[in-house]
Amino acid sequence: MPETTPSSPDLLRELHFPVTPATVLRKRHTLKRELLAQPNLLSRRIAVLGGSTTSELTAMLELFLLFHGIRPTFYESGYNRYAEDVLLDNAALAAFQPDVVFLHTTWRNVSEFPALLEPAADVDRRVRREAARFEALWDKLHDRYGVMVVQNNFDLPPLRPLGNLEAFEPSSRTDFLMRLNADFAAWARRHSWFAINDIHYLCAQIGLGAWHGGTYWYNFHMAVSPTATVALAQNAAALIKSVYGKSRKCLVLDLDNTLWGGVIGDDGVNNLILGADHPVGEAYLDFQRYVKSLRERGILLAVCSKNDPAIAKEGFSHPDSVLRLDDFIAFHANWDAKPLAMRAIAAELNIGLDSLVFVDDNPMERALMREQLPDVATPEVGSDVARYAEILEAEHYFDVHRIVRDDLSRAAFYDENAKRSEQQSTVADYGEFLASLDMTAEIAPFAPVYLERITQLINKTNQFNLTTRRYTSAEVESIAADAACVALYGRLADKFGDNGLVSVIIGRAAGDVLHLDLWLMSCRVLNREMELAMFDALVEQCQARGLRSLLGVYVPSKKNAMVADLYSRLGFLPDHEGAQGATWWRFTLPSAPLVSTRHIRRTASASASESRSSSSVPNSELLATR
Amino acid sequence: MTRQEFLLEMDEILGLRAGTLRGDEKLDDLQNWDSTALVGLIVLAENANQTNISPDQVVGCSTVADLLRLANVDPAPARK
Repeated sequence: MPETTPSSPDLLRELHFPVTPATVLRKRHTLKRELLAQPNLLSRRIAVLGGSTTSELTAMLELFLLFHGIRPTFYESGYNRYAEDVLLDNAALAAFQPDVVFLHTTWRNVSEFPALLEPAADVDRRVRREAARFEALWDKLHDRYGVMVVQNNFDLPPLRPLGNLEAFEPSSRTDFLMRLNADFAAWARRHSWFAINDIHYLCAQIGLGAWHGGTYWYNFHMAVSPTATVALAQNAAALIKSVYGKSRKCLVLDLDNTLWGGVIGDDGVNNLILGADHPVGEAYLDFQRYVKSLRERGILLAVCSKNDPAIAKEGFSHPDSVLRLDDFIAFHANWDAKPLAMRAIAAELNIGLDSLVFVDDNPMERALMREQLPDVATPEVGSDVARYAEILEAEHYFDVHRIVRDDLSRAAFYDENAKRSEQQSTVADYGEFLASLDMTAEIAPFAPVYLERITQLINKTNQFNLTTRRYTSAEVESIAADAACVALYGRLADKFGDNGLVSVIIGRAAGDVLHLDLWLMSCRVLNREMELAMFDALVEQCQARGLRSLLGVYVPSKKNAMVADLYSRLGFLPDHEGAQGATWWRFTLPSAPLVSTRHIRRTASASASESRSSSSVPNSELLATR
Repeated sequence: MTRQEFLLEMDEILGLRAGTLRGDEKLDDLQNWDSTALVGLIVLAENANQTNISPDQVVGCSTVADLLRLANVDPAPARK
């Protein structure tokens, strides 16, 4: 295995226990530069398919993967398009050819929770249906790409509508999620190419208060808080590195004040602090139990101690010692410098230094090991034995994606095939898929109730945004009240739920031409033909005002390439070009209404009574007020 | 946290050389201004001066000076 040597260990300590999310977020770019300078990075393509926004997650995932020696290239799904990207064979995803697919979903992506006090049999069917929905994705991913699939299980929601009843009432959200997690786990046991990123554990470890993002969800559709995002990325990166054999193989332990309290050469075996009859002795006992559990799952154990070897070995004859001498595959007790002993252990076991983890209570020994053998992982365990195991776990040295590889059962094979056929038949082509969504759009002039959301959308939408112009809330209010403006919002709903207010158009009439200053749409509804519905509504508004043409402008930015051809796709003709690549496009309004999409049914505005009716503003009035 | 300290932290969040930001820049013009930087800034602002800031407040900012005000940091440059 290639050895990697971080170029700036001090800086990279920020990615070791205890990781401080605020610091990692702050130093992201500096850390990335340092990590990219490491030699022998393994390049891998990671597709992150999200049920929420994923950009913050991938930024953190990149750091932690680099930290583990993996240089990732990412594909990110659009917001909440994890299922469509898989089921509809997204061409960009196919071209990306992922090595790993990470499905970043949370409790918010459960399609439907049970109704209160729903009969148990119905809940059973609902659990199976929801699990099968995910299973169909995993199957398809594996069939299509033959990749490792990493799937979040479900975290706990921030609220418990049923209080303590959530713990056992079958129709409760908590019970439902626990059953889904059990189904996910069962799937993981049956499929070697499938691994669970255990966010159910993480949310408990961090605490639900810190885990949930509160307003981060409503503002950015981040499923979890920034703190939780860092932890989630760290956990997922550890899982992915384990897939590529980058987990450590051997735990090398000091003895005195590491595996027992006291110095065996001075105190003798009978006076060591070890055992349940002493508070510190019990902590050493628990640490030994933890080390033993690592051995039982295949981690090699070795000793590296400055001691007389015969005396050192006596420690394992202590009646309370859980560890026995034969638990250790290498035993180096001598008076050599520990880095020398460590090299000897690596040579003896025929493994690289980067497979070793060294635990020693002595900060001088740790510092020397880090300085002379940086490839050996030497965690800053401190001197409190009660925390050794916690710190080892937090560093994810020994994470594996599975221990036992189970064969698929014949029954499961037939079950999976049936599900594939069912899914294939339901999404035969994209038009059919869109029709099946049963979409409705509310498109209307700006209404007071939506101005805040409209302002927010204007100030954060970058990709589907023709001009990337930003407006303050006061400017938006002014536009809403300006009779010369055609200002439309669009809400989109489908059978799975309400996507909310997702699109905004602002145009200003001059003569018989409407100049389009802004046209944006949230990426959460990309490829749903919502832009076509907006266009139809815009044309209708302009026709009602007696306007003759539209003049749109596309101003390229770093992020809005996806709409570079929007006007040409809608039938606009090139008009002229301006500075910084801006292009103007003209559309002559027809006399009849346009129907660009038949997949979205437009509904009346719920807030129509509050909004200014465009039909009540004839063009003659417009011309007078401009 | 002082104005200067806040600007230096922002430099770091954006991967800019220390001392790059002066306080009068538009956010959209900044190199590396992305959603992760925005989130980093919210976390920074929350830690600075124990100011509670909601994400939508930051989304509403268009300049560095807006952010300084939001984080309860004096947006005016120090007098010489």
